[in-house]
Amino acid sequence: MVVKEKKVGDAVVLVVDGEINFNSSPDFRKAFLKVLEEKAQKVVVNLSSVAYVDSSGLATLVEAHQKVKSSGGKLKLTNLSAKVKSLFEITKLEKLFDIQPTEDEAVKSF
Amino acid sequence: MEEKREVVIRIENLEKQFGGRKVLEGISLDVYKSETLVIVGGSGCGKSTLLRHIIGQLKPDAGKVYLFGKDITKANEDEMDSIKKRFGMLFQSAALFDSLTVEENIALPMREHTKLDDHIIKIMVKMKLNQVGLRGFGHLNTSQLSGGMKKRVGLARAIALDPEIIFYDEPSAGLDPVVTAVVDKLILDLSSALSITSVVVTHDMNSVFRIADRIVMLYKGKILQIGTKEEIKNSKNEYIQQFINGTIEGPMQFFAPDEGYLEELTK
Repeated sequence: MVVKEKKVGDAVVLVVDGEINFNSSPDFRKAFLKVLEEKAQKVVVNLSSVAYVDSSGLATLVEAHQKVKSSGGKLKLTNLSAKVKSLFEITKLEKLFDIQPTEDEAVKSF
Repeated sequence: MEEKREVVIRIENLEKQFGGRKVLEGISLDVYKSETLVIVGGSGCGKSTLLRHIIGQLKPDAGKVYLFGKDITKANEDEMDSIKKRFGMLFQSAALFDSLTVEENIALPMREHTKLDDHIIKIMVKMKLNQVGLRGFGHLNTSQLSGGMKKRVGLARAIALDPEIIFYDEPSAGLDPVVTAVVDKLILDLSSALSITSVVVTHDMNSVFRIADRIVMLYKGKILQIGTKEEIKNSKNEYIQQFINGTIEGPMQFFAPDEGYLEELTK
């Protein structure tokens, strides 16, 4: 799994490529914590190239949501595949996150 | 055309004897991805011994057991460790650590087998507890729990590492019928929501007909029949009919015949 960081306007977009699983979720967490250290207030996680998120990946996203919220910022998720979206639904997390269809819409929705 | 199904467990001609007594006699069986396969049979029929071979606790005298395509009868310790991370096990006794809280019991496999941060583990434990309907019980000591709750905590621990297969050893043992139905519903929910393959060993026929996609009937170390619920219910096999109807009369003999009794007493 690879995480690339980019700026789109005043938002920070993390583009994830690969599965977020027990092996890779600590790396995803590291990338996210780095963004938070830089005091980002508008964060988008683009999951277009993520085929699967296991429960450690979901928990890492929940923590990211908590941390962004407690620092007064907002987190958006975008481009979820049907399979990843169903994982959010099964675990009842789809209501916790602001899930946008595209990166562009996510950036504009802040 | 019949859809080709992915085999996750393959058992080939498995044989085992203990002290000269044959317990498994040439068992061959495929388990498909996402199905719930129930292994049924009376006490001593070999079903627990079969399960212990599938999870690598016992080595067979002959035959092979493939998990995810790997023959575990020949796997070394490292190979077995990586296979073990891919399946979960719910033991008959739930096998929880009484000195630990519910949360700590569920977190144990995560702490042992992953490098996840403690904060992430705590969130995961809450998610697992919610999946077995025990949200808010994490702080309790396991000794404070009823038998049914212990089973559900055991189940939460079995799914801690997102297994592809869960093995259940007598999940309804010691539970009342209502709690058994609750555990059965959890087995069904987990397999349908998370596409988990389930292998259940039991002799509780009510459970069997609630949860099974396919049933394997074992008797004296051999497979009598493998079939769907309907096929087993309508089986012409007299042993199977005796077992599912729970009758004393039938080909399975539970009492020694009277002949020779008096001679034996007065010998």
